[in-house]
Amino acid sequence: MHIPDGYLSPSTCATLYAFSMSGWYLALRRVKRALATRTIPLISVFAAFSFVIMMFNIPLPGGTTGHALGVTIAAIVLGPWGSILAVSVALAIQALFFGDGGITTLGANCFNMAIVGSLVAYGVYRALSSRSEVTARRRVVAAGVAGYISINIAAFLTALEFGIQPMLFHDTGGTPLYAPYPLHVAIPAMMIGHLTFAGLAEALIAAGMVSYLQRADVGLLRGAQDFLSTSTPLVSADVRSSSPTQLWWIVGCLMVCTPAGILAAGAAWGEWSSADMANPHTRAYIEAVSGNHKVTQSVPAGLQKWSTVWTAPFPAYAPRFIKSPAFGYLLSAIFGVGLLVLAAALAARITRRAREPESQS
Amino acid sequence: MSQSSFIEATLRSFARAFAKALVSERAGSQTGLLQWFDPRVRVIGVSVLVVSGIVCQRLAVVAAVFGLAIAIASGSRLSLSTLATRVWLVVLGFTGVIAVPAIFLTPGRPLLTVPGVFSISEPGLKTATLLVLRSETAATLTATLVLCTPWMHVLKALRSLRLPAEIVTMLAMTHRYIFLLIETANQMFESRQSRAVGTLTGPEKRRMTARTAGVLLSKSVELSHEVYLAMLSRGFDGEVRLLCDFRLKAHDYIGLFGFLSAGAFTVWVGR
Amino acid sequence: MIETPLTFDIGGVSFDYEGIAAIRNLSLQIGKGERIALLGANGSGKSTLLRILDGLYFPKAGFVNFQGEALTPERLQRDGFALTFRREVALVFQNPDVQLFNPTVFDEVAYGPLQLRWEKEELIRRVGEIMAFMGILDLKERSPYRLSGGEKKRVALASVLVLDPDVLLLDEPTVALDPRSQSQIVDLIQQWRGTNKTVVTATHQLEIVEDIADRVLVLEAGTVIAAGTPSEVLSNEQLLVRANLVHSHRHSHGGVVHSHPHRHGHSHDEHAHGPSERP
Repeated sequence: MHIPDGYLSPSTCATLYAFSMSGWYLALRRVKRALATRTIPLISVFAAFSFVIMMFNIPLPGGTTGHALGVTIAAIVLGPWGSILAVSVALAIQALFFGDGGITTLGANCFNMAIVGSLVAYGVYRALSSRSEVTARRRVVAAGVAGYISINIAAFLTALEFGIQPMLFHDTGGTPLYAPYPLHVAIPAMMIGHLTFAGLAEALIAAGMVSYLQRADVGLLRGAQDFLSTSTPLVSADVRSSSPTQLWWIVGCLMVCTPAGILAAGAAWGEWSSADMANPHTRAYIEAVSGNHKVTQSVPAGLQKWSTVWTAPFPAYAPRFIKSPAFGYLLSAIFGVGLLVLAAALAARITRRAREPESQS
Repeated sequence: MSQSSFIEATLRSFARAFAKALVSERAGSQTGLLQWFDPRVRVIGVSVLVVSGIVCQRLAVVAAVFGLAIAIASGSRLSLSTLATRVWLVVLGFTGVIAVPAIFLTPGRPLLTVPGVFSISEPGLKTATLLVLRSETAATLTATLVLCTPWMHVLKALRSLRLPAEIVTMLAMTHRYIFLLIETANQMFESRQSRAVGTLTGPEKRRMTARTAGVLLSKSVELSHEVYLAMLSRGFDGEVRLLCDFRLKAHDYIGLFGFLSAGAFTVWVGR
Repeated sequence: MIETPLTFDIGGVSFDYEGIAAIRNLSLQIGKGERIALLGANGSGKSTLLRILDGLYFPKAGFVNFQGEALTPERLQRDGFALTFRREVALVFQNPDVQLFNPTVFDEVAYGPLQLRWEKEELIRRVGEIMAFMGILDLKERSPYRLSGGEKKRVALASVLVLDPDVLLLDEPTVALDPRSQSQIVDLIQQWRGTNKTVVTATHQLEIVEDIADRVLVLEAGTVIAAGTPSEVLSNEQLLVRANLVHSHRHSHGGVVHSHPHRHGHSHDEHAHGPSERP
C-alpha cells in the first residue's frame, strides 16, 4: 500500500501533503498536551515497534503470508492521535531511509495509512468494544474487525488516488502521465489483495495481540493509570474521552468527502458528476448534499458514454468480472459498512449520553 | 510452504535492514560529489531534482534527469552495482508489476498486435516507461542522499529547513531504536526456529507470531518509559535542543544554484 | 563551625511500583564525599532507591532531602533548581541502551550540556575533552547499536561525567561487562576516593565492593537490613545468605552431602594504577 514516487501527480501529492500536515499538527498538539515531556520517547519507541511489525511475515490461513501495519494496535494502546504520529514516523523512515514508498507521496501514504487508518481503527474498536471489560473476548473480535476495516479503507483511498490519475493527468495525446489505471481497474486491483491478504494479516495481528495482552500485560490495553505508579498517566483519560466526538466527525467527514472529492474533480469537467448518477450509492450522497432534491434517474444523452464507464473499459482486454455491476456494488458495500459502523457508533454514543451524565469512555 | 519459512522470511528482512544501515555508514564517510556539499544543500538539491522529475512531462527530459541522478550517484562514490541491487532492481520489481500491464491495457494507437491475445499500444508503452523512469530517478536520488549522508545530518538539515524540533528528535530516536527492536525480535524468532518441535499448525504459527509481537510491544513500552527517565535525568524539560553547526561555504552556494537551475530547467523544458 | 548539610537525608520513605511495595520505610543518610555501596539481590529495591535519589521517582510516604532542602516534583519544575540539580546529580542506568538514546556517540555526550543550555563553543570543547578521557574519541560518529557492551558503558559514563557532577549514582555499573571493562569502571570509581565526589553504587557483585565503597548498606525487600564497612559486611556470612547475595552450595564427599555458603571471590593484591590507563 506504500505508493512510490511517480504514481501521483504533483498536485495530488501536494493536496495530500496538506491534508496530512493538518493531521500531524493536530495530533502533535493533542499528544503533547496529554503527555507533556513523555511524548517524544513514547511515540519514538512505538514508531520503531510499528516499523518492525511491518517487517513481520504473518502466516495466513491457506498457507500464504501477509504483512500488517500495526496501526490498529497502535491506535488501541496510544489512542488515535499518538497512533497518527507513531505510524507517520515509521512511514517517514521507511520512505527516507529504506526507500519503501516515495518521498513526494509520503503525504499520501501517511494520510491513507497513518491518519485515516488510525482514526478508523480506533473508532471501530471503541464502537465495537464499547463498555465491555478490558479482558472480554469481545475486545479481541473488535480489534480484528477494526484492523480489517481500517486496512481496507486505507487501501480504498489508495485505489481512489491511483484511479483518478489517468482521468485528470494526461498529456495532449491522452497518455496517462502518472498512475495509468482508471478507477474501475485500480479499485478492484487494490481491494482484492487487501480484502484477502493484508486486511486479514492486520486483523490477525490486532486480535492476536489484544488477546495476548489481556493475559500478559493488561495495563497496556487500559492505556492509562495502570502503567506506572508514578502518578503521571501515560495517556490521560482526558484525551481519550474527549476526543471521540470530534473523532467521529472527522472520520465521518473523511468518508463523505472522498466521493464528494471525485464529484468535485469531475465538476471541473462538467461531466463526471452525472456519471455518479448511474451509481445508486453516490446518488444518495448527491441527494443528501443537495438538500434532498431528487436526482434525475435518466442520464443526459451527451453524457451517455460516462454512464457505461463501469462496463466498457477496454472491451478486448478487461476480464469479465470487472464489467460486472456486482463489483461496483461490492465496493459500495465496503463503503457502506464503514458508514454503518460510523452511524452505529454515533447512535450508541447519543443513547449513552441520553442515559447517563458524561462519563469516561 | 515449509514450516518455518515465514520466520526465515522475516529474519531475512531483518538482516537486510542491518545491511542497509551498514552500507549507509560506509558510503557516508567517503569523499565524493554529494559529500562535498553542506547537508542542507544536499537535501534541497535532491528534493528539487526529485520534484522536477515528477513534474516534467516529457519522457526524454525524465530520462535526462535519470542520467543526472546516476552521474551524481557515481560521483559520490556509490558503485553502480550497489545502486543496481539496492535500488534499481527493487524498484523495477515493484513498479514493473504495476507498469507492465499498462503496456497492454492503455487504449491508443496499437504498435504491435497479436490478434486475440494482446495488443501493445503506443501510449501504453510511453506510460509504462514514464512510470518506471520516474520511480527509478526518484529512488536513485533519494538513495544517494541517504547513503551518502549520515542520518543525523539529514535530520539536522531538515531541522534548519524548519521541520519542528520534536519531529526531528522523534525521527532520530525512532531510527536509533529500530535496530534495537529488530535485534530483540531477531533473537525471539531465532530461538523459536532452533526449537524444532515438529511442524506447527496454522493457528499455532499465528499464535506464536502474535505472542512475539506482544512481547515486543511490552518491551517497547517499558523501554520508552526508561528512556524517558534517562532523558529527565540528563536535564530534559520538554524543550528540544539540537546542536546544529553546519556552515555554508562558497562552493555550497554554487552547488545550491546548480541544483536549483537544473530543476527549473527540467521543469521548463519538460512541460 | 559551619555544618555542611548532608548530601542526602532520607527518612521513612515508602514507594510502590506497579502495586508492589518496592521500598518500605527506608531511612538513609549520605554525607558529602562518601562512597557508598548499596548491596542487594535483584528486586531488593536498589534501582528504585537510586531513582528516588535522582528525583525521578517520588515516595508516597517519608521525606527526601538533598543538601538540606526537600526534593519534590514541584521544586524540580522550577527552572533554576532543576538546572542545578540535574547537573550536580547524575545517574548511570543499568541498561546502557536506555541511556544511549541519541543517534551518535557525539550527540549522546553533548546531550546533557545542550539541555542545560551550555554555550556552544564551551560545549564542544568539553565534549571532546571527556571523550578523550574515556578513550572514545574514535567512536564519535558511531551509532549506539553498533557498540560493544564495554564501549556503551564508557559512552554512558562520558555522557554524565561531561557535566562534572558532584554526586554519581551508579546502577550495577559492572554487570554484563567483560573483565577488562569491569576493571576500568572499578578503577574510575576508585579514583574518586578522597575527592569531593559522592558516589553511590548499587551492585550485587561482592568482589568489587571493597574497591568502590567505604560504607556498605545491605538491602533486602526494600529495607536496609544492615550497614557497615565493607570488611564487616562481607565477612558476615549469615547476612549475605539472608540477603541472597551468596548461594548455598551443595556437594558431596564420599557419601556425605553437606552445604555451606559459597561465594565467588577474587584475590586482591596491592598494585598501583596509572591515573589514565585506557585501552
